[in-house]
Amino acid sequence: MPLLSARALSKSFGGLRALDSVDLELAEGEILGVIGPNGAGKTTLFSLIAGSLAPTSGEVFLDGARVSGLPAHRVVRSGIVRTHQIVRPFPNLTVLENATVAAIHGARRAPGHARERAAEVLAFAGLADRAGHYPGVLTLAGRKRLELARALATAPRVLLLDEVVAGVNPSEAMALAALIRRIRDERRVSVIMIEHVMPAVMSLSDRVTVLDHGKKIAEGTPSDVVRDPGVVEAYLGRGHAEANP
Amino acid sequence: MTLRWPALVPPRAAGAFAAAVAALAALPALLDLSAYTHNLVTLTFLMVAGALAWNWMGGFVGQVSFGHAAMFGVGGFVAARLLLAGAVPAPIAWLLGGAAAGVFALGAHPTLRLRGPYFSIATIGLGEATRLLFTYWEDFTGGSSGLSLPIDPDLKFRLYWWGLALVALVAAASFLIRRSALGLQLLAIKADVDAAADVGVSATFHQDLVFALSGAVVGVTGGLWASYFSFIEPNDMFGFDRSIGFVLMAVIGGVGTVLGPALGAVIFVLLRQYLLASYPQLYLGLYGTLLVLIILFEPLGLTGLLLRLWRRAARRPEPAPAAAGGGR
Amino acid sequence: MARFVDLAVSAVLLAGLYATMAYGLGLIYGVLRVVNLAHGGVIMAGAYLGWVLHERLGIDPYLSIPVVLASSFGLGVVTYRLLVRHLPRGPAGGPASLLLLFGVWLVLRNAAYLLFTGNDQAIRTAYSTRSIALLGSQVSVNRLAVLGIAVLTPVLLHLLLTRTYLGRAIRAVAQNADSCALVGVDVERIYTLTFGIGTALAGLAGLLSATLFSFNPGFGSGELLKSFVVVVLGGLGSVLGTGAAALILAVVEVFAILVLPSYLTAAVGFVMLVLVLVLRPGGLFGHRILG
Repeated sequence: MPLLSARALSKSFGGLRALDSVDLELAEGEILGVIGPNGAGKTTLFSLIAGSLAPTSGEVFLDGARVSGLPAHRVVRSGIVRTHQIVRPFPNLTVLENATVAAIHGARRAPGHARERAAEVLAFAGLADRAGHYPGVLTLAGRKRLELARALATAPRVLLLDEVVAGVNPSEAMALAALIRRIRDERRVSVIMIEHVMPAVMSLSDRVTVLDHGKKIAEGTPSDVVRDPGVVEAYLGRGHAEANP
Repeated sequence: MTLRWPALVPPRAAGAFAAAVAALAALPALLDLSAYTHNLVTLTFLMVAGALAWNWMGGFVGQVSFGHAAMFGVGGFVAARLLLAGAVPAPIAWLLGGAAAGVFALGAHPTLRLRGPYFSIATIGLGEATRLLFTYWEDFTGGSSGLSLPIDPDLKFRLYWWGLALVALVAAASFLIRRSALGLQLLAIKADVDAAADVGVSATFHQDLVFALSGAVVGVTGGLWASYFSFIEPNDMFGFDRSIGFVLMAVIGGVGTVLGPALGAVIFVLLRQYLLASYPQLYLGLYGTLLVLIILFEPLGLTGLLLRLWRRAARRPEPAPAAAGGGR
Repeated sequence: MARFVDLAVSAVLLAGLYATMAYGLGLIYGVLRVVNLAHGGVIMAGAYLGWVLHERLGIDPYLSIPVVLASSFGLGVVTYRLLVRHLPRGPAGGPASLLLLFGVWLVLRNAAYLLFTGNDQAIRTAYSTRSIALLGSQVSVNRLAVLGIAVLTPVLLHLLLTRTYLGRAIRAVAQNADSCALVGVDVERIYTLTFGIGTALAGLAGLLSATLFSFNPGFGSGELLKSFVVVVLGGLGSVLGTGAAALILAVVEVFAILVLPSYLTAAVGFVMLVLVLVLRPGGLFGHRILG
C-alpha cells in the first residue's frame, strides 16, 4: 500500500479550475518530483494535501487513513508537512525557536524535549551555528535551510518541498539536493518535491509527475517523462513537440 | 549536544519576585499608609492585574481587543449578584465571576478566527453590544441605577492583600506563559498564523485558551472592583472607556513585554488621579497623544524607553533588530 | 401598509448615508491597507464643523459642503503626512496603525469636548421639519437632500476612480504599490491624497448626519462600526456592492424597530457587524478578509 495517496483531487476557485481530478501516489521511502509550467496547479496540490486548503472534491489518504478535510495543524500532526515557495520564517523568533515551535507537535515523537529535537534538526540541516540568530540576518540559502529544518522538526513521514532549490546559486543548490537525499536516506522521510530546477529534480526523483493546467499529463521515471511528447508540448509548445518526436 | 529549556523559573528572578511581593504586603504596616494611599494602591493592583491579562491577548498573541470591558462587567456583576444573595464568601464570588467571564469570552470564539483589524473592530462591536444587552437586562444589573452592595470597610481594607495576591498570580503567570512552549506558540501565531498552522500549531485552540484566560482574570478584577466600590453600574463597567483603559495601560507600559503593562497601569492610575483633580477636561486627549507618541517613537512604551536608557548606561550595543513591532 | 412604505423609504434614505460613510473607510483600507479607526472621529468633526458654520455664521449646511469637504480633506492629509506615513506597511503594521489612529480619535474627541461641551447638538434649519409627499407618505426634505448627495457622491467618486489619471493611479497602487513605484507613480502622494479623500468623505457624511440626527463628541463609534459592516459586506472598491450592503444594513436596522425595543436597535448594528465578519468573509462581491 502506498504511504500517501491522493484520489481525484480537484480544486476550483470560483470559475477557475486550478486542479482537475489529479491522482497521486507516494511509496514509502520514495522521492517524487512534481513539475509543470507555471500556473499548472503544483502549489495548489501541495496546499490540498497539507490541509491549507480544502479540496473541492477528492480525497487524500496517509497510510490508509483519510487526511483530506482536516485543518492544516491536524495534518501536520498526522505526519505530512509542507514548506512554502516563498519562505515564511517567524521573524520574531530565533532560528532555534523557529525549529522548536515546530518540534512541539511532532508526529513521530523521538524521546527528548522539543528544544533538543530542534537543535538536532538544525545540526542536521547545517544551521547549528545560526541557532541564536534571527531569520532576518540569514541569506536566502540559510532561510531555505531553515524552512526545511523547521518542517523536518515536525518529525513528518511525508515532506512536501515547494521549490526549495530555486533561487540559490549552483553550489548551494547542490548542497540542498544532497540534504534532501539524506533526509530520505537517513531520516526515513518520504518526499514530494516541486521544482523548476530540472537537474535537481531529475537527479533526485525516483518518479516524476507532470501537471499542466491543473491536470496530470504524464508520470514515470525522469527519463521517460522528459521524452513524453505531451510534456514537451506543455513546456515548449506544439511546434517543438511535432518537430522533435 | 543536549539543550534543555532554560530553567523555567530562574532562581534569582523567583527570589526577587517573592521579595517584592513580601515587601508590598508589608508596606501598609511599614509605612503607615493613609487610607487614601492604601486604597489607591489597592486600585492600582486591580488595574495592573487587568492590564497584564489583557496583554496576553493583545501583546503575546497580537490580537488587540477593544472590548475587554465585556468580561470585566460580566465578572463584576456575577460576583456582585452572588454577594448580594449572601450565597458565598467574597473570594469565591470573585472567582465565580471570573469563571463566568471566561465562559463569556469563549462565546467570542467565532470572531477569534479573524485577523488584525477585523478582530479588533469585532471586539468593539462585541463590547458595545454586551453593554447594551446588560444595561437592558435590568433584573440582573439594575439598569442605569446599577447595583449597590453593602459597604464593608473591613473587606475594602483587606482588598489590598487580595489585590496583591491577584497581581502576584497574574504576573507569575505572564512570566511563565511567555517562557513556556505555550508562549512560543503564541508568538508564532502572532507572526504568521498560517505558517504556524503549517508546523502544527492550532491558532483557534490557543486563541480560545488565551482569550478565555485573559477574560477570566479581567472578570475576577471586575469582582474585586465591585467589592471595592460597593456600587457598580453597567454603562461604566461595560463602557467603551473602560475597554480603552486596558489598551492604554498595556501600550503605555509596553505591549507585548512580560511586565510592561504593570508599569503602564501604575502610570495610568497615577495620571488619572492627577488629571481628574487638576485637568479633568484633558485626560482623553492626553491619552490619545500619548498613544500616538508611543506608536511613533517607542512601540515598546515605557519598557522600551527604560531598556534604551539601561543599554546606554551599560554601554551595550543594541541587539540585532528582531522585526515585527511590539516586543516580539 | 403605509407604515411599511414609510419604513422602506426611511431605509433607502439611511442607506445613502451609510454608503457615503463607508466609501471613505473602504477607500483608505483598499489602498493603504490601513483601517482608519479615527473614521468615527472625523465624522464627528464634520458634524461639528457644519454645526459651527451654521450656528455662528448662519451658513446653510448644504452650502457648507465644500468647506467641510476641504477641511476634512486637509485633516486627512495632515494626519497622513505627520503620523500614518511613518507606520510600517502590511501585517506588521497592523496593531500599530489601529492604535495610532485610535489615539487620533481620542484627541479629536477631547478637542470637541473642550470646544463644544458634551451636550447633544443638531443642525436645525428653517426647512428641517418640512416634508413633502412621496409614495403616499411624508418624507422630510432634509432626508431627500441627503439621499441626493449620498447617491451623487459615490457616482462622482466612481468617475474619479475610473476616468482620471489620479483615479487610475489610486487603483493601481491599491493593487500593487511596489510596481507602481517602478513605473514612476509617486506612491506616497497617492497615499496622501487617498487618505485625504477618505477623510473628506467621512467629514461629508458627518455633516449630512448632523442634519438628520443629534450628535455629541462621543458620536462616531457606532458610525465606524456601521461603515465597517458595509465595507466588509459590500466588498472593497465596488460601488454597487457598497450600495447594496448599505441598503441591507439600513433595511435590517429600520425594520428591527418593528421587533425590538428602541433600546436595542442600536445593538442591531453591532450584532450585524459580528455576524457579517464571521459568516460572510467574502463579502457580497468577493474579498477574503480572513488570514
